[in-house]
Amino acid sequence: MEGRGSAVNTPASRPVTRKSKSYGRSCVEAPSYFWQTPGHLTVLKVPTSRGAAKSQIITNKVDPEHIALLVKNEWKLSYVTPLHHFRHTQLKSYAKHLSAFIVAEKQQGVAVEVGLDAGFKVTFTAVLGLAETDEDAETVFIQIQSKPVFAAAADAPKVVWRGWLTCVNGDPEYLRSLPPDFVSLPLFCTSGPESLTNLVKSWFERAFDCNFGSLALNSSTLNWLAALWTGCHPACNIRYLKLSWSLPTEPPLDVLYTVNPQDAWELWNSIHPQENTDDRIDIKDVQAFMSGMETHFFRHFKIHLSAGTLLKVSTALGSAHHDGKIKIGNSDYITTLLALLTECALLKMPT
Amino acid sequence: MKKHEDDAIWIRIAWGDNFSKPNHLKPTYVVHHLHTSYVFISNLMAKHKIFLCQALVVATRHGSIKDGHLSTRSLTAMRDLLLRRYQQVFPSAQSKIQQERDSPPLHPCIGKEHSDYEEMRHQMACEAFGHGPTPKLETAVYKLETRYRGNGNLTVSDREEFFRGVVRFSSSSLLESLRNCVASGMAEGPVTPLLSAITRRGRNSFVITDKGPGVSSQASAPRA
Repeated sequence: MEGRGSAVNTPASRPVTRKSKSYGRSCVEAPSYFWQTPGHLTVLKVPTSRGAAKSQIITNKVDPEHIALLVKNEWKLSYVTPLHHFRHTQLKSYAKHLSAFIVAEKQQGVAVEVGLDAGFKVTFTAVLGLAETDEDAETVFIQIQSKPVFAAAADAPKVVWRGWLTCVNGDPEYLRSLPPDFVSLPLFCTSGPESLTNLVKSWFERAFDCNFGSLALNSSTLNWLAALWTGCHPACNIRYLKLSWSLPTEPPLDVLYTVNPQDAWELWNSIHPQENTDDRIDIKDVQAFMSGMETHFFRHFKIHLSAGTLLKVSTALGSAHHDGKIKIGNSDYITTLLALLTECALLKMPT
Repeated sequence: MKKHEDDAIWIRIAWGDNFSKPNHLKPTYVVHHLHTSYVFISNLMAKHKIFLCQALVVATRHGSIKDGHLSTRSLTAMRDLLLRRYQQVFPSAQSKIQQERDSPPLHPCIGKEHSDYEEMRHQMACEAFGHGPTPKLETAVYKLETRYRGNGNLTVSDREEFFRGVVRFSSSSLLESLRNCVASGMAEGPVTPLLSAITRRGRNSFVITDKGPGVSSQASAPRA
């Protein structure tokens, strides 16, 4: 416990027994402070450094059709606690149960709108190959299709909702510490009407004794993404680096700073020169990168961007919003993004 | 063409070419306030721009026409900003008195610690952006082509190349937001000429370059 750590924003939904977390001012290999979870033998650490974004031709590992499902949609993020007795072999049966559940819930309390939501078809698919380590569970993709009311009999059902549960590069100690009946797929991404999302969540909660919660991305995560994505520029043209702040003036002022990608990369490279393929990026570099751009902005406009909140970071590789929404632009770097988000989900989970 | 009471001429143009009749569904509107040198144009396609400009120059018997770099949704806002039809504040002792009248009477036991700084900031904000209701602009865009001025790393700031970027401010009422920004301290005073140029020069689109071997960046001359 050397040095003085700096305080980090704590989300409001935390249980009281948790100690505050802070980043240690230590060298790279000593991780930061821990927080002890009541009744749990493991600890989850907030990393101060992480590996640079690695490009992967992901289509070698994962079916391109599955990848196409994930890319280019906007996903809303939640975290989920470990699932009890979830079996990847039972996916078909889960699909049937979820479909029946949705139909039953929709008919509950509704007057005589028979045939309005004429049958839901649910499919659970295992997306193999996204998992990075041996402890990661395989990703599960859920799709809900339904026929609109006035569709002809021959019309194909439309996909009305999509969601997927994943775990990429999850903390290995934590995953190993789980009791054997539990499967951890902490990151849940959804796209579709809120009502269906809530139905799916409540079915999961009943079937697997788990808990969902919304996952917001704090400015630290967004800063990491900005730096990681910028670092990818020479290999894969990011086309732009857009940073979006919101200042709490009356009425609120939005500032969108679009940085030229080459210039952003040169700034990043001067702070963190690319040494070898296995280099690790320290959080201090990320902070220097962001503060460099904020200072450049300040020198022109004299406005303190720190008075506002960083809401959105976006490049051609994807975008991430403070409210917990992401968009995956390019599948080559999907592993890095998902690993970061899995870590956020694991950290946000109450235990 | 139609002339309104406030000395503004409204012109409606439907464009056609050798092959098609004038399209009345997508007309261009032009508003010219007589006795001013401003023309407001709405819904003009790029290919017609040169013709309209030529016609306006000839009709108004002026020498040339230049892009004003101001675009908003509200015609009234544009007009008020350019013709300065909003409550401007000039540096003088009188305007300070005006503010004291505005502030509500406080409880005698409550004292404001930083009232001097607050007043100064409020004064600076009003000088730059006006007092009371301001013309309702939505955005301001700044294209930055200046050298990097971040902190720390000297090797970067010594570079000759520019740190390019585009900054876009947006809000439901931009001038009020900026005024509030300065008055509350989120922006440091004195107000940078980049922001006060919005009201001073009546523009909301700028290209910022480094001027000479020097220090400050200034708004460049309007591109013709």
